[in-house]
Amino acid sequence: MITYTAVGLLGLLALSIPVGIVLFLLGIGIDQFFSSFPLLRGLGSLVWSSSNSATLIAIPFFVLLGEILVRSGVAARTYAALDKWVSWLPGGLIHANVATATMFSAISGSSVATAATVATVAMPQAEKLGYDPKLFSGAIAAGGTLGIMIPPSINLIVYGFLTQTSIPQLFLAGLIPGLGLALAFVVITAIICALRPSLGGERRTFPLSAMMRALVQLVPILLLFAAIVGSIYKGWATPTEAAAVGVAGAFIIAFFFGRVDLAMVGQATLGTVKITSMIMLIVIGASFLNFTLASAGLGRELQDFLNGLGLSAVSTMLVIVLIYIVLGFFIETLSLMVVTIPIMVPLVIQLGYDPIWFGILMIVLVEMALITPPVGLNLYVVQAARTSGNLSEVMLGVIPYAFVLLLMAGALLVFPQIALFLPALLN
Amino acid sequence: MADSVLHLMRTLNRGVAYLIGIMLLACAAFVLADIVLRQFGVSFGGTDEISGYVMAIATAWGMGFALLELSHVRIDLLRQRANPLGRSLFDIFAMIVMTAVVLIIAYQCWPVLERSITNSSTANTPLETPLVWVQGPWFAGWVWFAIVSTLTTLSALTLILQGRFAESEQAIGAFGEAEML
Repeated sequence: MITYTAVGLLGLLALSIPVGIVLFLLGIGIDQFFSSFPLLRGLGSLVWSSSNSATLIAIPFFVLLGEILVRSGVAARTYAALDKWVSWLPGGLIHANVATATMFSAISGSSVATAATVATVAMPQAEKLGYDPKLFSGAIAAGGTLGIMIPPSINLIVYGFLTQTSIPQLFLAGLIPGLGLALAFVVITAIICALRPSLGGERRTFPLSAMMRALVQLVPILLLFAAIVGSIYKGWATPTEAAAVGVAGAFIIAFFFGRVDLAMVGQATLGTVKITSMIMLIVIGASFLNFTLASAGLGRELQDFLNGLGLSAVSTMLVIVLIYIVLGFFIETLSLMVVTIPIMVPLVIQLGYDPIWFGILMIVLVEMALITPPVGLNLYVVQAARTSGNLSEVMLGVIPYAFVLLLMAGALLVFPQIALFLPALLN
Repeated sequence: MADSVLHLMRTLNRGVAYLIGIMLLACAAFVLADIVLRQFGVSFGGTDEISGYVMAIATAWGMGFALLELSHVRIDLLRQRANPLGRSLFDIFAMIVMTAVVLIIAYQCWPVLERSITNSSTANTPLETPLVWVQGPWFAGWVWFAIVSTLTTLSALTLILQGRFAESEQAIGAFGEAEML
């Protein structure tokens, strides 16, 4: 059954059938070939119960929040302000790319939206100031991946929903790895640019007074972050409700900058419906596949499979990490997570690992998938914002950052506390 | 013929998407009002339940719009290496499979609504919402998706048989990764 699912999955995906539909097909196949009960009769109730979810309404809310902020003009101001604070480092403005991406990750639940936002405001600067395009655009693509790690995160909400793990705990678990990655991106940029100054650009220092004045520009984002995350951990709002708080905050910011009008709201709305439906087809398909796999006895088969392999828990984890890296070259982020959750998470739990920890590890691996060609959405998003040069420059530029992500995956394997420390503190 | 069907589908689904957007905005406002009121010790109650219904209905009705906007993610690694004829074969095959699955889903959703109608079921919550009110629109959304999917497939098939590959690709092709936004 595991072989059937894995081979069927890859084969049907290669035929370019929509990912969500592939998941339904596999579920229907399992019902036909592996189950003695008619599982298909459960399909209707499953479609109802998996979409009738107050948890998942956080997805359209967070998408809407991003759609509004992108159109609010707050990104350009944030970028200019962070430039004043970080451009003294070797690598100059490249650090502003990482810093802006980190701040946007803290209010956006999506990596692609984060990369797109930063790329739009940063790319024109690179061309104006004569930066080497490779590392500069690589930093945006990589920095953008933090969007799904630093809370709030749409991917973590989906993971929590499908694996029945606590979303606030997942959010907490993502905080230290996310900030750690941001710091590591800054450090590796500084090291590379100190060794090869031609890759960076001019280092600039600004007078203290200008730096202080710039801080004001960071206030909107920081307030919004405080409102979203604060309301969750103060117990005022569930993660879902906090998303509604975020939408209101984004509207206030956009209104403050005079960007709210009917056309803008209309565009943001259409984008939200489109992205939400796309995500939900995959999520509902995965719920159905989950259900059929579990009903047809995946648990026992996994146990046999593991015993048959005869590998230690650690070696099995290494194999799993390798599988994600390889699949990540070809499958887009959320699809990669959702199609693998039904098989991988039960397996990892059987091995005795913590599902919260695995969620964070999976996010790191999926972040790599976002920047590894040929299917790496963030590469294309950054390239789309450029006016010259080709995609291979962006691909070269992300290599050091992909390396950092690999290191973080290793660090999580050796020190699970990186992810589990904060959630444990909360309990 | 095929063009006008596709055009009509696009116009209708755009309207549907705006309505869903308004519903989502209203839901966000409702949740927000409840959070504020709770600080003063009062609450509408049932925001969770209502959010769930909104999500189920929004999801079902948004599917057709996402389909016509080519947003349902496809892995086009092999597809993009094919020539225009090959690509349209990939596309039409994917659409036929998709339509078949969506028809099965819509068909399997009916018993859920049917049970609620025959038993006059209400939700097991303080609101005691009659489930027909929410499952009715939800079911209609999946039927709508099945209709949109079927008509789009037939239109695209017509275009392909007429050799109009570029137009069929516009209707049911896959976006390059870059245009996904």
